[in-house]
Order: sequence, then structure tokens, then C-alpha cells
Amino acid sequence: MTGMSEYLAAHIQERLAADAYELGIRVDVRGDVVHLRGEVMSEQRRREAEEAARAAAEGREICNELHVVAVAEPEAEERLS
Amino acid sequence: MIRVAAAGDLHVGPEVAGAYRARLSALAGQADVFLVAGDLTRHGTAEEGRIAAGELRDLGVPVIAVLGNHDYHSGAEEEITGVLRDAGVTVLEGGGTVLDCTGTRLGIAGGKGFGGGFEGRCASDFGEPEMKAFVRHTRDFAERLGACLQDLDADVTVALTHYSPSADTLEGEPLEIYPFLGSYLLGEAIDAAGADLAVHGHAHKGTEKGLTSGGVRVRNVALPVIQHAYALYRLDVPEATFRRSVRERVSAW
Ligand SMILES: [Fe+2]
Ligand SMILES: [Fe+2]
Repeated sequence: MTGMSEYLAAHIQERLAADAYELGIRVDVRGDVVHLRGEVMSEQRRREAEEAARAAAEGREICNELHVVAVAEPEAEERLS
Repeated sequence: MIRVAAAGDLHVGPEVAGAYRARLSALAGQADVFLVAGDLTRHGTAEEGRIAAGELRDLGVPVIAVLGNHDYHSGAEEEITGVLRDAGVTVLEGGGTVLDCTGTRLGIAGGKGFGGGFEGRCASDFGEPEMKAFVRHTRDFAERLGACLQDLDADVTVALTHYSPSADTLEGEPLEIYPFLGSYLLGEAIDAAGADLAVHGHAHKGTEKGLTSGGVRVRNVALPVIQHAYALYRLDVPEATFRRSVRERVSAW
């Protein structure tokens, strides 16, 4: 069973790359839930990644813990000497 | 002293157009140059290339960029390079450029780079043509990067790539995918030529700070890593450079 959910995680990852153009998302299938973790660039992409995952999740529930990257202006510089 | 601003993995698209640029208003006062470490787009279309060019045009500092793997996804890398150049961005792919920063010459050599893995845990130029092509793509680039760094007539040199020259800055990524994130061949070329800093992106879950095996400072500036619109690095010009330039001047007289 564990082996099968790993194949499913791989298929979801393929779908995330093909449909949502996201490569760095961690996919874990635990029982009936697919967990998504990682960083995306916008709220819309967070939703698109969830939809892409759902399309390959074979009816499982999606737990979307993707985080939208904060792009604040820098506060400090690093001195390299 | 040279002030370098750097960011990678902007991954722009229509729904976020203008959002990145809005964070760059202070940049011109903080830095002498802005280095962009690839993955400017989400899936490498010409339309996204135009959006990326819009984010980076007329920033008040020279912008030097390399492309990343996402910028190649739709086969429009040449078009993307073209629109970026039209917007005044210098795009490097195995080439270099030298900027005059108030009397100090800053040399930058760079390009996308590629993977293969790191010392003792890497792909070899052996076996099937597909495997050889993979490793040779990295090796050819590393050779050009090294030659280009060596040829730069500059006081301070920076290597700019998308893929990582060091495993240090991949910390946080799964070990299994390190061969797709960078190559020791890049680090080896940088160490052989010498550089003051190596800047890369691509490893979204990696770490900002690391070193090449030869001790060159490496910085992973992927936006998800730095969590800011750009990182700022201040490079003090080594005294040896001043001594060398003085000597050069003496001999010229
Ligand atoms: Fe990226
Ligand atoms: Fe990338």
C-alpha cells in the first residue's frame, strides 16, 4: 500500500510540473490525504497547484500547505570582505 | 567597494505583472548592479519574457541576467533573451561583461549552467548518448565559464549562474535531487579561475550561504530562499588589487 501511494505522489508531482509548472513542491500521500508543501509565487498559483494535484489525486482530499513567497524590500546588506 | 543586488527565480507571469517591480524602487540607491540568476519566467513563453523585461527595464542600475531551466521550457529562450536585451538587460550565456563602478571594474561571467551532482556523487560522461549529452552540457558550460572568468579584466569578479556550483547552498533540498540542482564542475571552474563571489538560484528550498570547495563565497538568491525582493552584498575591493593596479600604472609610466 505504501508503495502504491508513493507512485501516486510521483504522478501528482508530474501533474504539478505539467499543468502548474511547479517543480519544487513536496507531495506526501498519507492515507486518504495528499499533503502539498513548499513555496509558490502567488495566491493564484497556490490554487492552481491544488487544482493540478486534485486532478491526479484519484479522489483523495488535498491538504494545501503551500506558502506564498513574501517579497519584501531588503533591510540589510551583507558585507563580504 | 562594490554593492551587488541579486535575486533569482522571479517566475513572473501575467497575474503578478508589475508586482515584483514595485519592490525595486530603492534598488538604484542601494546597489551598483543588479544580478538576476535565472528562472525569470514560469514556463518560458515569449509573453512571460516580455513581462520579465517590463519588471527589469530602466531600474537605474545595470541589470545582468542569465536564464534558467523554466525560461527554456517553451523553446522560446532566444525570444526571451531578445526582449530582455531590448529592455537594456545584459543576458549572459557563457559570456562576460565588465562594468565600471565609480573607478572599480566589476567583471561578471555567467550563464545558465546545468546539473550532474557533486564530488563523489555525480553523473559521469559515460554510457548512453543521453547520459553523455547531460554531462557534456554541464562540462561545456563550465569550460566556457572558467575561460570567461579568467579573461575578465576586472578588480572584482562574480560568477552568475542558475544552477549551483556548490552543494552547500542546496541544504534543505532532498539529497536525491542534488544532481538536478547543480554540478561540482561549475565550482571547479570558478575555483580554477578565481572569483570573489558566486551567485546562483534554482534551489528554491536551499540555503542562502555556502562556499565552493576552493573557498569562494556562494550565495543562493532564489526568492523563496532570500524571502526578499533581492539580497544585497557589499564587496570590499581586495588590497592586492590596488597594489596590482598601482604597479601597472608605475610600469606604464
Ligand atoms: Fe526556479
Ligand atoms: Fe530553476
